Amino acid sequence: MNKIRTIIIDDELLAREIIKTYLSKKNEFELIAEASNGFDGIKLITELKPDLVFLDIQMPKLNGFEMLELIEDPPIIIFTTAFDQYAIKAFEINAVDYLLKPFSEERFFESLERAQKLISSQSNHKKDFTQILNSKISSEEYLHRIVVKSGSKINLIDVEDIIYIEAQDDYTMLYTSKGNFLKQKTMKFFEENLNPNDFMRIHRSYIVKIDQIKEMEMFEKESYKVTLANGKKLPVSKSGYSKVKELLN
Amino acid sequence: MNNPIISNKKVFATYSLIWLFIAIANMCLLLFSQKISFYSAIIDSIIFNHIYFILGIGIWYTVRFNSLETYNAPKLVLNHFVAAIITSGIWIFTSQIIIYQVLNNDKSYLSFLNNSSIWRFLIGILFYIVLVAIDYLIIYYNNFQEKVLRESELKSLIKEAELNALKYQINPHFIFNSLNSISALTLSNPKLAQDMTIKLSSFLRNTLTKNDNQKSKLIDEINAGKLYLEIEKVRFNDKFEFVEELQDECKELIVPSMILQPLFENAIKHGVYESIEKVIIKLSCRKENDFIKISVENNFDPQSIPKKGAGIGIKNIQTRMKLLYGQDNLVTVKKNNNIFEVNIYIPLS
Repeated sequence: MNKIRTIIIDDELLAREIIKTYLSKKNEFELIAEASNGFDGIKLITELKPDLVFLDIQMPKLNGFEMLELIEDPPIIIFTTAFDQYAIKAFEINAVDYLLKPFSEERFFESLERAQKLISSQSNHKKDFTQILNSKISSEEYLHRIVVKSGSKINLIDVEDIIYIEAQDDYTMLYTSKGNFLKQKTMKFFEENLNPNDFMRIHRSYIVKIDQIKEMEMFEKESYKVTLANGKKLPVSKSGYSKVKELLN
Repeated sequence: MNNPIISNKKVFATYSLIWLFIAIANMCLLLFSQKISFYSAIIDSIIFNHIYFILGIGIWYTVRFNSLETYNAPKLVLNHFVAAIITSGIWIFTSQIIIYQVLNNDKSYLSFLNNSSIWRFLIGILFYIVLVAIDYLIIYYNNFQEKVLRESELKSLIKEAELNALKYQINPHFIFNSLNSISALTLSNPKLAQDMTIKLSSFLRNTLTKNDNQKSKLIDEINAGKLYLEIEKVRFNDKFEFVEELQDECKELIVPSMILQPLFENAIKHGVYESIEKVIIKLSCRKENDFIKISVENNFDPQSIPKKGAGIGIKNIQTRMKLLYGQDNLVTVKKNNNIFEVNIYIPLS
């Protein structure tokens, strides 16, 4: 039987070390690489195509979730993190397991068993990531940056730079002061995860940064448009109309 | 501080009313004891008292620039003595010039005017003394009120600083990651695991037993901060380095308490946590003119997008420095290219 090829991604050396130590006791697993940040992590996963990844969530450059958004065919993930504000989301992602630091050897081996079962059963673990990643991230925090991939380049967009967001089938187009970016996320995701004090859904297909709205005018009978600071005009739906009206008053 | 007579309507009204009484008393005196004609008595009273009314407002400025803190008593008395003579002199001189223009044919009044100059001069000096005393009282009262306000504000700020520090330390991310490091070290390096446990304990104990002291020695602040950095150093090993450059006079310097901790936390949070390059955190302290300048600087990844709410710690320090030393701009923040730098200037006097 082939060994399970494993990668550890964590920004702390000692955190990687303890996983390595535990892992070395199991012959069925083979550590093939380690990374200390999200950028290197993506590179390793796409190049080496591991079976299993131990993934920390809070890391420099890209966090664990942002990394997964960018990988088309993610391997089996075991999250390791110090704090469980992300636990719910991690389980939604159908990570095999979720290890809260510090964790015991026994607990760690349980995780390995689960991963092993999943891999040997050859079940289709490629869950629909996009749908799961579209859920609310955490109840406490709103998005402050969005990660997008254009070609091989990874861009981090500050939500402050967004002007408006447009629905495009399964994707959304982010119009920002730094250019336009296509992102595989739903309007619902952005509506839930952007701070409602800063962003407003004015139409089925549009979310606008509130401070970009300049004015609203009648377009046709019972149909309105808002004008943005950059001159762009966007349609407003009925429910959007009352929200914008309240805002402008 | 603004002139209290003209900046406050109520005070101005009271001031005007008092002068009205003085003017009426002045008039009655001329009418009944000096047998001056009604018309002349009114003109005399209006002109003399009106002019002192205006001069009296100006006396505030002689008080402002002769503050009790900057001059010693003899110098202060001398200054006011000269100012009193000048004020009273101007008063008599201008009043008489105007009156001569208006009442040039009331001979009995004019002779009274000439004879009364010396008395009026002395009264002018008396007015001066009374007004100066009142002005000093106003300043004293205001300073007292300000002091009370400032002290209560400082108290709440130090509480806030402590709370921030505590919040940071019981921040689950920091605490559980530190415990995870200890857990890892128990396998590979038990001695270091013990060190780390002790450091983490002293660090937590430090904040839990913090007292309300507004000030402490810089060296104590530095040691507390280093303890924190050593814990992070265990976690991040070769990802950052701490460098210090201290002049000898810095160590015993008394500084506001808890001013370094938030700066170190910032450097770790925005520098080390967000960067994949090695971060150098540099603490320096040296004399610069009339100040001791304390700087904390670190490099950071300019591409990382800062989370909102950053800079609360620095704002707290800024406000406390202003309240403690009564000066603006004692805390400066510089951000250029990839270096973030916070400078704190402690006035030496």
